[in-house]
Amino acid sequence: MKKFIKNNGTFIALIFLVIILSFLSPSFLSSRNLTNLVRQVTINGIIAVGMTMVILLAGIDLSVGSVVGLSAVTVTLLMQAGFGMWLAILVTLIGVGGVIGFFNGFMSAKFDIHPFIITLGIMTIARGLSLVLTQGVSVPVTNLTFAEIGSGYIPKLPSLIILVVALVLGIFAVFKTSIELKNGEKVRNKARLTGGIILTIAGFIAGFFTFIGYQGIPIPVAIFAVIVMAGIYTLRKTRFGRKLYAIGGNEKVAWLSGINILKSKTMVFVITGVLSAASGILLASRLNGASPNLGDGFELDAIASVIIGGTSFMGGVGTITGTVIGAIIIGVINNGMSLLGINTFYQMIVKGFIIILAVMIDVLNRRETA
Amino acid sequence: MAEVILEMKNIIKDFPGVRALDNVNFTLEQGEVLALVGENGAGKSTLMKVLSGVWPYPTYEGDIYLDDQLVRFDNTREAEEAGIGIIHQELNLLPDLSVAENIFLDRQPLNKFGGIKWEELYHNAEKVLARLNMDIDPRIELGDLTVGKQQMVEIAKALSLDTRILVFDEPTSALTDSEVNELFTVINELRASGVSIIYISHKMEEIEEIADSVVVLRDGSTIGDKINIDQVTLDEIIARMVGRDIEDLFPSHDFKRGEKTLEAKNISVPDPFNPEKKLVDDVSFSAHKGEILGISGLMGAGRTELVNAIFGVYGKKREGEIFLNGKKLDIKSPADAINNGIALVTEDRKELGLLLDKNLVMNMTLPSIKKFSSKLAMDKHAERAVAEKYVDELNIKTPSLDVFVEKLSGGNQQKVVIGKWLITESDVLILDEPTRGIDVGAKTEVYRLMNQLVEQGVTVIMISSELPEIMGMSDRIVVMSEGKKTAELERSEADQETIMKYATGNKGVE
Repeated sequence: MKKFIKNNGTFIALIFLVIILSFLSPSFLSSRNLTNLVRQVTINGIIAVGMTMVILLAGIDLSVGSVVGLSAVTVTLLMQAGFGMWLAILVTLIGVGGVIGFFNGFMSAKFDIHPFIITLGIMTIARGLSLVLTQGVSVPVTNLTFAEIGSGYIPKLPSLIILVVALVLGIFAVFKTSIELKNGEKVRNKARLTGGIILTIAGFIAGFFTFIGYQGIPIPVAIFAVIVMAGIYTLRKTRFGRKLYAIGGNEKVAWLSGINILKSKTMVFVITGVLSAASGILLASRLNGASPNLGDGFELDAIASVIIGGTSFMGGVGTITGTVIGAIIIGVINNGMSLLGINTFYQMIVKGFIIILAVMIDVLNRRETA
Repeated sequence: MAEVILEMKNIIKDFPGVRALDNVNFTLEQGEVLALVGENGAGKSTLMKVLSGVWPYPTYEGDIYLDDQLVRFDNTREAEEAGIGIIHQELNLLPDLSVAENIFLDRQPLNKFGGIKWEELYHNAEKVLARLNMDIDPRIELGDLTVGKQQMVEIAKALSLDTRILVFDEPTSALTDSEVNELFTVINELRASGVSIIYISHKMEEIEEIADSVVVLRDGSTIGDKINIDQVTLDEIIARMVGRDIEDLFPSHDFKRGEKTLEAKNISVPDPFNPEKKLVDDVSFSAHKGEILGISGLMGAGRTELVNAIFGVYGKKREGEIFLNGKKLDIKSPADAINNGIALVTEDRKELGLLLDKNLVMNMTLPSIKKFSSKLAMDKHAERAVAEKYVDELNIKTPSLDVFVEKLSGGNQQKVVIGKWLITESDVLILDEPTRGIDVGAKTEVYRLMNQLVEQGVTVIMISSELPEIMGMSDRIVVMSEGKKTAELERSEADQETIMKYATGNKGVE
């Protein structure tokens, strides 16, 4: 039990937070509010998925917020210039996110410069570029279908079908992953099985209540869900994911074991760049335009989500699942305090304390096991 | 018979899942030098932690008697006050402070304003150092001393605390031969002045030289009674340690030299800090199937750098050519070397060999993850099965495949590193100091394994600083000195004197 609390501390904290807020503010648990909350989380959450991989490598990416701004501006301007929507999106993902990510990763890995420095430079450069491109003023979106991406919904019936399919697949996955190999024999971990099934069903009910009770699944949330699942799969199942944990554990050992550090690091920063660009595109779509200052300070929320989610700053330890919980916690705090009428200035102070608390818990946990 | 001053009785210490100490019994007399020996993981360090109060009662069971009085220390300070001191393998000193400050840390004589009375401090330090016949100026910074001298300061510190029982934990691992002699002189003087000493070491020759008696620990228990050193042979001690007779520390082998496999031609590596100098200077050698090639030399002779160069560590900075089975290889990184069938068991397993906070499976399959994965997913069952197979084959003692390797003993960690490279099924296996810091039993297992690999057709190259090991295991020996190859000897022509002669820089014929 003690171990369970320790391993799932952030998740339990989230549940407590939700319970407290639902008592303090009756509108918190309304379908409408929850749908909005989840949609707000996606913008930060998508970036945080990439940031998890960066921090797993004991790195950092400070440029994500500026990439959000530059991408929002770029996609908007491209469409104004007559590019089709999909082409504009593709060019932005690759040309802004991919190129900046490649530069971040390649420079820091090839010349062994801490990514803090490189991404700090890029952060300013990208922000400057946004200001140059827009002459410092906001630019409106002219393409009507583009707005749908950020603010549209999947209709209720298809949403329901997606949720049911997710429920079935979730239970199937729980059955599969609850088998452990012990002394060559396959043993079912009963606690994990029941826990997993309860969580999956609870998730289904929460999803049903939130989305079907309002207007269906918001499109950004669906995109976020796909990115999260791809991220979890990458870290848990693929060779690439394994390499990241190895490099984060001890870069020298990983290199001597034949892992191409340059390639893996560059790849991680490219992924983070592309995800940040995706986040920027979604934001531009929802706001129906882009301002050059969009995304200012987003790197802090992304890093905070990763750290609250239990990823170690020292590298080598961490999960996307944790990061998602971390991102939701930040979203719930923002949303809850707004509902309670607390000034955003105070929200910043509270968020800061929570980050410190999360790191303290992590450090104390580690000291105990040492 | 001298007076018994320490008795440890039925000491039991449990860690979650393991019993580290299981009924340990021994006595220590005044002025006795008692050698405590045992394989890594046998419980020596844990026992000393119980004695010195690191593990307070009741985290252990059993009784400790000091002068026939039952003692139960709550912390290390209490043990210190009772006269028990430990000289750790890694010295516990502050390199930026003076010798005197290190000796009297926290106990400096103070004037009424709380300032340090420096002259009195230095005087006191001189007095303590004089007891050791040590010519060390207490005013100089500790960091300026050699490791051997620093150790003397640590001993002086213990003596200044009126230590009656002094524990040495592997004290000679970082010392030169002359420093070892100096240490032994001091130990003899301490013995004469009535200090009792517990001496932990792997090195049998040292124990024979310095100890009065021996206690053997195996799997957390004392094996047999304390024995007088005059009444026992080294082989008997080793047999007690490993629980079986070792006919020969170096299992004999008789191979037929096969075809040439790895060939290195004119390998050079520039010194990054000094362009005039070379870490490896124009070294050529070849290794064959069916033999173990030994590389010998003193510290800093460029042996590690040579094999690292072959393994691609220096990238494009390496000069020279490498051939495998007649084919020229283009090796610019460790990945290239691994892909071409070359494996390197690095010297420093903690920094270069293992992911300490990862489990056995992940460590062992790391260089061969390609074998256990498609583009899309890792085959976790397959990699687990292979890891399990090698854990069995190498006799790695671990509670499960899922523990972090940092929890394993040194010998078992080394086997994990070796296992990791065996799984790559490479043609050439280079081992850099494969038995450093591991116990006798594990050493022999490593030697057996090397022989077995040679029989299977693997080309084995071993670097070792221990001359008996080099001579016992190699069929051919390359000797290096200051980056250059100074000799290549057949097993029959190699003896300690010849190797030392070339290792100390006598340029020989090729």
